[in-house]
Amino acid sequence: MMRRTIPLIITFISGILLVFALFIPHKPFGNLEERFNDWYIIVSGFTMILGMDSLLLHHWNKIRRRQADWFHSAALIVAFAVTLVWGFYSGIKVGNPFDPKSTFLQYFYTYVFVPLQATMFSLLAFFIASAAYRAFRARTLNATLLLVAAVVVMLGRVPKGSGASVVLFGIALVALAVGLVLHGRSLVDLRGQLLAYGGAALSILAIIPIAKYFPTYLPAVADWIMNIPQLAAKRGIFIGIALGGIAMSLRIILGIERTYLK
Amino acid sequence: MNVLWTWIAAGLTLAIFSFLYKDNPFYKFAEHIYVGSSAAFWFIYLWYFDIKPKLLDAWVMNTGFEKYILIVPAILSVMMLTRFIPQIAWISRWAIAFTVGMGAGLGITGALQGFLVPQVQATMLPLWEPVSSSTLYNLGHSLNNLLLVLGTITAIFYFYFSREHKGGLGVLSKIGITFIMVAFGASFGYTIMARVSLLIGRIYFLFHDWLHLV
Repeated sequence: MMRRTIPLIITFISGILLVFALFIPHKPFGNLEERFNDWYIIVSGFTMILGMDSLLLHHWNKIRRRQADWFHSAALIVAFAVTLVWGFYSGIKVGNPFDPKSTFLQYFYTYVFVPLQATMFSLLAFFIASAAYRAFRARTLNATLLLVAAVVVMLGRVPKGSGASVVLFGIALVALAVGLVLHGRSLVDLRGQLLAYGGAALSILAIIPIAKYFPTYLPAVADWIMNIPQLAAKRGIFIGIALGGIAMSLRIILGIERTYLK
Repeated sequence: MNVLWTWIAAGLTLAIFSFLYKDNPFYKFAEHIYVGSSAAFWFIYLWYFDIKPKLLDAWVMNTGFEKYILIVPAILSVMMLTRFIPQIAWISRWAIAFTVGMGAGLGITGALQGFLVPQVQATMLPLWEPVSSSTLYNLGHSLNNLLLVLGTITAIFYFYFSREHKGGLGVLSKIGITFIMVAFGASFGYTIMARVSLLIGRIYFLFHDWLHLV
């Protein structure tokens, strides 16, 4: 009763009251969403303490048992303690550690937190590039669309991208033409050969409009891709996510989904 | 003072970049410093921007019902911490149940108000919309509207798995995946640009602020 039924009742009441508040924007439900939202932020803020406990305990055990790389765990605990003490000390001294006058913001945030975070995320530029090499092979129509859309958006968003696009697409079209000619030579039937050679000629001819129009229109094409096909697919995905989210929330409120009680 | 801090920042930046060679003790050291300081940083952020203003400051500033109702989230927060005591750890389920219920309730209202209704509303576009005196411009504008409607509907059909994608549904889902592929490619390109701009920022810091070469 205390361990399963009451939590289920609490979930049902807190969830259903918010749904009522959406459809009845008057007292007593009027400001319920705002109030519950504040409570939610407070209670979930305290869950951070549980997370910190788990993190510190894991690393403390590594130090205690002298496991491999235990000194890195010691560095983590020291970094945690120094940041916490410095933050609260600055908070007590100037009122808020995020005040521009606080040393916490001036030194820790600017010279430790930002460099670490920005460098960590900038590493992804290299790994994305290697992932792109594997994913962007124009083997099927869909993979080609993915490749072309990504390249156009990337080149359309940088100042010198329009000029570079002519060279890149020119090289790609020449490579395509060479590939088609080689493929045509290996064929025995005349129709296939004509198609391959025709395709090669068209690829070479396509370089002219690309050289003429790409430098002017590439940023507009990139914007069009972002605003029309990209937005359309994203809307479809968002609508799907919303419907799935509503279904899952209803399962939780009605007590069908109870995995959080395990 | 700033010179010392710039050297610390440069050292941490280089330690993280050293991972590009291979996993090494310098990278691991910087990574652990990042995890430890991030955990403390976000706790301080939560304290000063969420818990303190919404609970402690609100308790001091409010009176009557608005003041005493704050006991409810305070009790729920304490209940959450009962996980530290195994004998009464089950009490934390009540606080978890509240956050889960709240999350579910906000999930419904948020999905309806933030995603479903606005997205459906924005997709209800006129398929012929004369907005200019130029017929060609009107045609292009209406074609864009048509593509938006078609892309949205077919992308939804692609995720409909209750029936096999054959016949009419197969055609619609094929059109849908075409739009989705363009969207993924564009998002991928956009993400790469964001990461590359961060990388440029870090390299500029090393060459400008640290080495004074540029």
